[in-house]
Amino acid sequence: MSFARGRAFAAFQSSLKLLQLSSSMSSRSLPLTRRLLSTSASIRQLQGLKSNNTDLESDMKLLHHHRSHDPRLFDEAGRDLNPYREGPSAVDKAVHLFFLTEIVRGMWIVLENFFRQPYTIKYPFEKGPLSPRFRGEHALRRYPSGEERCIACKLCEAICPAQAITIESETRMDGSRRTTKYDIDMTKCIYCGFCQEACPVDAIVETQNQEFATETREELLYNKEKLLMNGDRAEAEIAANLYAEHVYR
Amino acid sequence: MVSLLRTLRSARRVGLKEWWRQMQYIGDAKSGTYVGKDQFGNRYYENRNAEEEIPGRHRWVDYAQHYYQASQVPPEWHSWIQHIRKDPPTQDLIMQSSRQPWQQEWSETLTGTRGAYKPYNTAAPKINAWEPKVTSRG
Repeated sequence: MSFARGRAFAAFQSSLKLLQLSSSMSSRSLPLTRRLLSTSASIRQLQGLKSNNTDLESDMKLLHHHRSHDPRLFDEAGRDLNPYREGPSAVDKAVHLFFLTEIVRGMWIVLENFFRQPYTIKYPFEKGPLSPRFRGEHALRRYPSGEERCIACKLCEAICPAQAITIESETRMDGSRRTTKYDIDMTKCIYCGFCQEACPVDAIVETQNQEFATETREELLYNKEKLLMNGDRAEAEIAANLYAEHVYR
Repeated sequence: MVSLLRTLRSARRVGLKEWWRQMQYIGDAKSGTYVGKDQFGNRYYENRNAEEEIPGRHRWVDYAQHYYQASQVPPEWHSWIQHIRKDPPTQDLIMQSSRQPWQQEWSETLTGTRGAYKPYNTAAPKINAWEPKVTSRG
């Protein structure tokens, strides 16, 4: 508060000075409003005229010497009531102290963490926790007998919000209905997991595998063989996950 | 630089050679109990002492190949190292009983190599070109 009041006081004083100046100059009828080359400071200096802004103070001067304008106050014994009126204010000193030590305090935190063990998970060697319900790469499963589960009911194709699944079916030689085409466009798939929820026979599942990034877009257009291969490779993991989740389904 | 005490402790436990290998691959000195080895030769370790390893970094794999890749971990061990299952597949009875005789061998992602997957149509073509059959005129 004292800071703001001091500044306002100083500004008031300087504006007073300006008023006095302008009144003295209007008596001399100098053109103040128009800035011409003949009235610029350098020309006036050459002509030996006194510059009219010698009494003006810069803003920085006002900022640093604002307290010198405070009035001197004395008590009955003649002692100075405000002996620090010439020096910097407590706010100024606190600002300088905290801004300077802030560097040191920041560097100290850096130093502390320099000697601590890193929190970074070194990715291909260490991996973060994953839920058994994680929805990663798709797979088509088989029954324990080795017969493929998918019965081409096309519920997954119907529910897929991204319309990434394409199914064509045919009657097999033994009379059972199976898919001849089960394509998933993995570039369309949004991994919502609706397909595995819609599936009545647990045929299409999303495995916990997330390491299937490819170099070309073409490799992400999965067909039935690829999906069955995924299931054949990861069947133990898929079955163990489904067993862990069976109480919640 | 990691904590000096931890680095020295791990280097003393695993030996200088193993420490050098860890610094070349993992980039951090770690020590723990040996949990197992998969069919590809990747070795798996665990250290559940929260004072020594930050929880979340307590399971790790030492890849057998120099050109290591996350998909070189087979699915059984993948579910252990990603903390999906508590026990490693060597002790996990459910995982062992879930394994099927027709199950196929895991292979790492072959993208960018000649073994990469190439999509093809699994259904028979719906439109067949007319193939005229000419009967011989006796």
